[in-house]
Order: sequence, then C-alpha cells, then structure tokens
Amino acid sequence: MSNVLIGVALHCLLVASLPILLACVIRKTKARMQGRPGPPFLQPALDLAKRLKKSDTVSETTSWVFRANPLVGVALTVWLALVLPWTGATPILRGSGVADLILIVYLLAAIRFFAILAALDTGSAFGGLGASREAALSVLIEPGLVIGLAAASLSSRTLDLSIGLGSPVRPTVAILSAAAFLIAALSELSRMPIDDTTTHLELTMVHEATILEYSGRRLALIEWTVMIRTAMFFGIAAVLLVNGMFGPDAATNPLIIGTGVIAAGLFLAVFEGVSVKLNWRRVPSFVAFSTALAVMSAFVAAVER
Amino acid sequence: MSTSTTTEWGPAMILALGMFAVATVLGLAKARSRFGLVGFASLTGCVLFVTCAIFATNGRIVLPPLIGLAGVEVAFRIDSLSRWFIGIIGLVGIPVCIYLPGYLDHLRGRVRPGLVWSGLAVLFGAMAGVVLADNAVVFIASWEMMAISSFLLVATEHQKLSVRRAAFIYLGATRIGSAFLIAGFIWAHALTGSWRFEDWTFQGTSATLPAALILVGFLAKAGSWPFHLWLPIAHPAAPSPVSAVMSGVMIKTAIYGIVRLFLLGHLGAPWVGWILLFLGCVSAVWGILFGLLQQDLKRLLAYSSVENIGLLLLASGICLVSRSYGIALASDLALGAVLFHALNHSIFKSLLFLGAGSIDACAHTRDMDRLGGLARRMPWTAAAFFVGCASICALAPLNGFAGEWLIYRSAFVVGYSAPSGELRLIGLILLGWVALTGGLTAACFLKAYGIVFLGNGRSGEARKAHEAAPGMVIAMCALACACIGLGFGAPFVWQGLARMSLVSNPGGWNLPVFTTVLGGGILLAAAWAFLSRLERTHRPTVYSTWDCGFGPLSARTQYSATSFGQPIVRLFGKLYRYEIDVVGKGESQHNFPTTLSAELKHESYLESRVYSPAIKGMLRLSEGLIMRLQAGSIHQYLLFMIVTLALLLWLGGVI
Repeated sequence: MSNVLIGVALHCLLVASLPILLACVIRKTKARMQGRPGPPFLQPALDLAKRLKKSDTVSETTSWVFRANPLVGVALTVWLALVLPWTGATPILRGSGVADLILIVYLLAAIRFFAILAALDTGSAFGGLGASREAALSVLIEPGLVIGLAAASLSSRTLDLSIGLGSPVRPTVAILSAAAFLIAALSELSRMPIDDTTTHLELTMVHEATILEYSGRRLALIEWTVMIRTAMFFGIAAVLLVNGMFGPDAATNPLIIGTGVIAAGLFLAVFEGVSVKLNWRRVPSFVAFSTALAVMSAFVAAVER
Repeated sequence: MSTSTTTEWGPAMILALGMFAVATVLGLAKARSRFGLVGFASLTGCVLFVTCAIFATNGRIVLPPLIGLAGVEVAFRIDSLSRWFIGIIGLVGIPVCIYLPGYLDHLRGRVRPGLVWSGLAVLFGAMAGVVLADNAVVFIASWEMMAISSFLLVATEHQKLSVRRAAFIYLGATRIGSAFLIAGFIWAHALTGSWRFEDWTFQGTSATLPAALILVGFLAKAGSWPFHLWLPIAHPAAPSPVSAVMSGVMIKTAIYGIVRLFLLGHLGAPWVGWILLFLGCVSAVWGILFGLLQQDLKRLLAYSSVENIGLLLLASGICLVSRSYGIALASDLALGAVLFHALNHSIFKSLLFLGAGSIDACAHTRDMDRLGGLARRMPWTAAAFFVGCASICALAPLNGFAGEWLIYRSAFVVGYSAPSGELRLIGLILLGWVALTGGLTAACFLKAYGIVFLGNGRSGEARKAHEAAPGMVIAMCALACACIGLGFGAPFVWQGLARMSLVSNPGGWNLPVFTTVLGGGILLAAAWAFLSRLERTHRPTVYSTWDCGFGPLSARTQYSATSFGQPIVRLFGKLYRYEIDVVGKGESQHNFPTTLSAELKHESYLESRVYSPAIKGMLRLSEGLIMRLQAGSIHQYLLFMIVTLALLLWLGGVI
C-alpha cells in the first residue's frame, strides 16, 4: 500500500517537474544546434512565470469559447498526465479504467475541439487557417494512434493503458507501435517536420496560428499545456519502447523512463536542428507512415498471438 | 422474449395512438384556434410513449379487426426491444412538439400549420405501429403509413421546385425499399406459413433469399450506402422539426427492423453480418466525407445521419459476426452499442436539426458561408448546438461518446478473443476505422459550429439575427440536457439494458465515467479559480483581433465553411474528383483581376456512374415500350386487368 502511495507521489512530482525540465533541455539543445549559446537553461520556466504575471488582451469578436479554451486544455491535460502511465511511476487510480485508451483519445479530441473553436472564434484568417489544418492533422493521426496503442494492449486484453503498457508486450509490436505513436505525437505536438512552432510565416503555421490571439496568462497556460503534452507523449513512447526491449519491469522504472523522456527531447532537438519543415501538401504522406506502422503492429499482434 | 399474454398496458398504448388520431383529425380542421389542442394531444401521446417505455409490462395487444384480414390479427406486442424504440420516439417527440409552434410562426403564410401537425401525428403513430407490430402485415401497414406521411411532410413547402423534386425522389426511394421489404415478407410467410415475426424460424439456408430482400428494404429506409442518395436530398427539404424526426427517429425504425429480425430473430446469418459490417464501414466514412463538402447546414446534418447509420450497421455487423464465431462478450457489447447509439443519435441529431431550424428561422439562411458570429446573437441556441456538436463528435463524457465507446470496445474484444488471426486483425482495423470516422466527424462539426456561431457574421442576415422563440429554445435545451444526462448516466443505461434483458452482461460497462468527470471537473475548477484570482487585479483588456496593421478586418477575410474543409477534402479528393475553378476577369486577368470567382466542383461517382445511367435507361425503356401500352383506350386497360387477374389466379393455383 505504502509502495503504491510512494509511486503515486513520485508520479505527481514528475508530472509537475519533468515537462518543464524537458522544455528547458529542448530549448537549450536547439540553440546549441543552431550555433548560438541560447538563453539561460531555465528560461522556459521563467517565461511562464513572467507571462502569468501579465494580464491578457482578448479580442472583442470572441465568445466564451476563447476564454475557456486554455482552462479546459490545462485541466484535461493535467488529468491525462495524472492517469497515464508515462513516467514509469504509478499513475493515480491505476487499473480503475480511467486510463482507457478510447477515453484518452477522446479527451485529447476534446482538448483539440476547444483549441480549434477558439481559433475560429477570433474571426481572423490566421485562426481559420490553423484551425482547418489542425482538424486535418487530427483526422490523419487518430487511426494510427488508436490502432497502434490497441495492438500494444492486445496481449493484456484490456484497453486500460495503465495496465496494458506495463504488462509484457511482444517486442516487435512494442517497437512498431512506439514508432507509429512517435510520428503521431510529432504531429499532435506540432513539432518538426510537420509544424514549426518558432515560425510566424502564414504559409507554414499550424499550431502557432491557432494561438496567435492569446497573450499573457492564457498564453502561459497554453504553453504549459503543450509542455506537459510533449513530455507525456514522449513518456508513453519511451514506456512502449523500453517495455518492448527490456521488459515490463524496466518500463515501470521511473529512472529509466525519465532518462528516456529527456533522451527523446535531446533527440528531437537535434533532429529539429538538422531537418526542415515539410511542405504542407507533403505532410499527409509523412503522417500516413504512422498509420502504416500501426497497421503493421496490429498485424503482428493479431497473427502471432 | 416472446410472450403471448396480453398486457395491462394495452389501453395506455391504444390511448397514445388515439391521441395521435385525434391530433390528425383536429389538425386537418382549418381553424387556427385548435392548434394548441392539436399540440397538446401530440405531446400527450409522446409522454404516454415514454411512460410506456419505462413502466410497461411485456405482452400482446390484439384489436378487433375493422375489416376482414384473412385471419391476420391486428396485433401489437410490447417487449423490451419495442419499449426501447417507443422510448426513442417519445423522447424525440416531446421536444419536437414543444418546438413546433414557434417554428411554424416563422413559416406563417408559406405552409398550413395544421397539415404539418397532422402529418407529424400520423408519422408518430405510424412509427409506434412499426416498432409495436406483432406481425408482418401490421408492420407493413404502419411502414407504409410512415412512408406516406413523411412524404407529405417533406412536401410541406411544395411551392418550391427543389422541395417537390426532393419529395418525389424520396417517394421513389421509399417505394423501392417497400417493394423489397414486402417481397421478402411474403417469401418468409410462404416458407413459414405465419405472418408473426416470432414464428419465423427457418431450416438450413432457406432464409437466405427472403433475408436478402428484407435487408435491402431496411437498408434503403435507413439510408445506408449505396441506398443513401435520397436521404441528403429529402431530409433538408422538410421543415426542420420534421427533419429532426425523420433523421432522429424514422430511419431508426429500419435499425429496429434489423435488430428485431436479424440480430434477435432467426434471419441473422454470418453473411448478413459481413454485409452489414462492410456497408456500415463504407457508409460511415462516405457519409461524413460528403458531409464535409456541404455548405448547407441541413445537408451536412443529413450526410452525418448517413455516417451514424453506418456506425449502427457496423455495430450490428460486429454483433452478428462475433456471434457466429462464439465471441459472446463482443456480440453483447455490439448489440448494446446499436441500441444505445440509436438512442444517442436520435437525441443529438434531432437537437442539431432543431438548431439548424432556429438558425434558418432567425438568420434566414442555412448557407454556412453566409452565417457566422451567431453565438452572440443567439446565445441559448448556440449553447444547445454546442452540446449537440460536442456530443456527435463523441467528446467524453457526453452521450455520443458512450455509444461509440461500446463500438470500440466490442471491436477490441473481437481483436483479442477471436479464434483466427484474420478476424483479430479485422477487429483492430475496425478500431482504426471508427477512429478515422471520429476524426472526420470532429472536423465536420467543428466546421458546423465554428463557422456558423463563431467569428463575425458573413452576411447582413447573420448580423441581424435574433434569439429564437422561448419554446424553441426550451426544446433544444431539454435535448442538450438529455445529451449530458445520458452521457453521465451511461453506466445506468447499460444496467437498464441488462435489466430489460436486451444485453446479457451486466458488467459490460466498465468505464468509470464519474471519476473522470469528477477529476476533470476539480482540475477545471482549480484552473478557473487560479486564473480568476490572478485576474482580480488585472482584468483582460478587450481589443480588436490582430489585423496586421491594415485596419479593421472585414468578415470576408475569415475562413469560410468551404475553406475550412479544404485540407481534408483534398486528402480524399480522388474519391469524388474535387476541383476548384478559379476564374479571374479584367484587363490583366492573371496578375490584377478585377473580379475573381471560384467555383467548387465535385462528382459523386455513385450518382454519376451508377444511378444516373440506370435512371436514364429506365426512362428510355418507359418512353419506348411502356408509353405504347398506355394508349389511353379503356378497352385496352380492361384487357390488361383481366390478363393480370388471370395470371395471378393461375399463379395462385386457383385455375
């Protein structure tokens, strides 16, 4: 019992700290990759603190959706981070079914639903552009996300990810699913090569266009949400990968998974330093890899039970 | 589930049907003062339906026949399944009856309100007759009444050419569907010697052909691919409350038929399951893809009905297929999914259609490219429509999610417990297919809500819109509350299904909805409290949307419904040859056009390659051959009649 409590406490601690740490690592490494010293290591955290102090400017065109979106985003993301087994420690309410794969996917959809509506709410062309692209991306990634994770949970016979990801998974399935999940994650998190969060050129913007009208506190909330989501997605991919290669014991070790998340961040930063953003029209065929890998994973999982 | 005892709830049910008969007759009278009474009678009927659905005991109701029916009884039967569907009819009927007076005020001068009331009363009564029918003859009689009354309702605004055309297409579709259905029923009767559904047991594969005929009849009514063409034409043409009933409930009677005869009856066979699965998959994605293309809000909703019927058929398919492989849990979950999603869809789809009706009545257009910013003009309608959209996108924990979760779960159970690898793979792929449908639905309804209610009004009408009449708002809010309630109460709904012995696994629902709602709610409240604490000193500044320094943005700079759907529509462009023709006019057309127009083109291959040639061939045939038979000579017609009679007598073995 006390073991579980310590595990849960550790999980909550990691939920609070790991995302910000990851953001710091990514920012610093990216700067180094571009040959500049970059801001101080803790700058992302300091930015958050600064923005939380500032009041925000809200467009007169907007309705309640625009104001509610950051709150819904933060609440649901923190909830997902608390119940999903992405740190290696014990998530809260483990095994109660709150981490049901379908529920998770549709809670993510709810976050996106609000984000897209908030973008349309401003009445600007940027918002519409970002919203429409975000919707298209979600259509592309959802099948791969569901098939990949369902294939990985097939051997444990439950859709509850807090159990499924911590039980033995066939290595091939785990690796294929993890790869599918990572590609889907790049798109969901608006990272390169699908989207570049640092650009402000209309032709290439996706995520940035949807949050263009946000400022001050609400922007801080959105940025924090993105940080948590990034860490969470990398964490799940790391759990899958480690589970496939070293077994479930390693996958429930916070130290290994924490290192894995940071390593994934380093890898992402290096990758973003050397890659270019894809032409928007070529994004679908890149994201389709996710679905293809997930179907392959499902094939292996189904046939070689 | 079969029972031959009479039920003490018979009088209540007869009273409900009688209420609709009264409403029909009163509605036909021209005096305006009676409409309150008509509405009250219809409302009472619907309330009685819901009461019966909840409390009625199972049993039969046999009426004394008014005319001789060759030994066929005018018999109805109340059992769990018919109670479930009677409940759906009543639950949608109540808000529609509340909504209708306000809506008819907007149509004043264009339609005769009494006729709409009468038509709706006949439709409600007929739908109840369909789901209560004990034998095929009563079923067909009600089915036909349903078809005719809905045809008349579609033709309400018959002054418009497009409405007349839609009504005739709809009539044609119902005739073809009914022909198949009647042929199938007669065949089944010939094989079993009984008109009663519960006597329909078949030996070996003798049921294959009648089953195929009946299936086509039901699929045509449900609006499944490839028989869906009438649906997006007919439903938008009807007045919105009627579309709500047609899309929400009427097409569900076909699902009722499929559940009654195939899923719970003896006509079900593995091949039926595979066909349902295939058609369900195609309908789901096809429907929503075409929904994304639409600019007319009601057409979008109608196409989304095709999608949802697809999901229902897909679940029915999973049910039959997994039963044939002995996967009891999956089959149970899928059956539950069919019933639950049928209820959910009827609630949120009627909500959305009523919302579209309010928009049509208050902003005078349904073209999404002319709407926008209605959330500020019509806040209550916007709130209710928001819940409907969130629910149809299956956002947890609303009712749309509950139904789809059951579909996902049944597919996953197939994925891990099917005996063969192929079947397990199919189960997993189905998960992805439903997820794809889910993503497309989300895009479609984000477009519907985002373009219509958010941003700035794209036309003068949209900027001058006002909130709908109180009755209309109340009806929509009631449905929105039902969406939320059914979502939160999903575990109880499942228990209810188990108690009605429609599903056999009381523990089938294992998703902790309350914990999620509670957890998410606490975090949301905490975030809100945190933010409002910070905002106590510094309120947000209100300013205009960033305009890049070029001065005020016009409403035309916004994304339109067409442009929102573009990226996705292009992705699937090959399926319907999607093209945009941009024409520039002016002295220097390419660089500085004075006028620029863009036209979208898409071609539905099913229509252009299959149905159109078939219809043309039919017309040619009738012009050539059949026109010659119609000579206008009464002697010749008499001859035809005698020849037909002789033929029938010979076929019947009398001569």
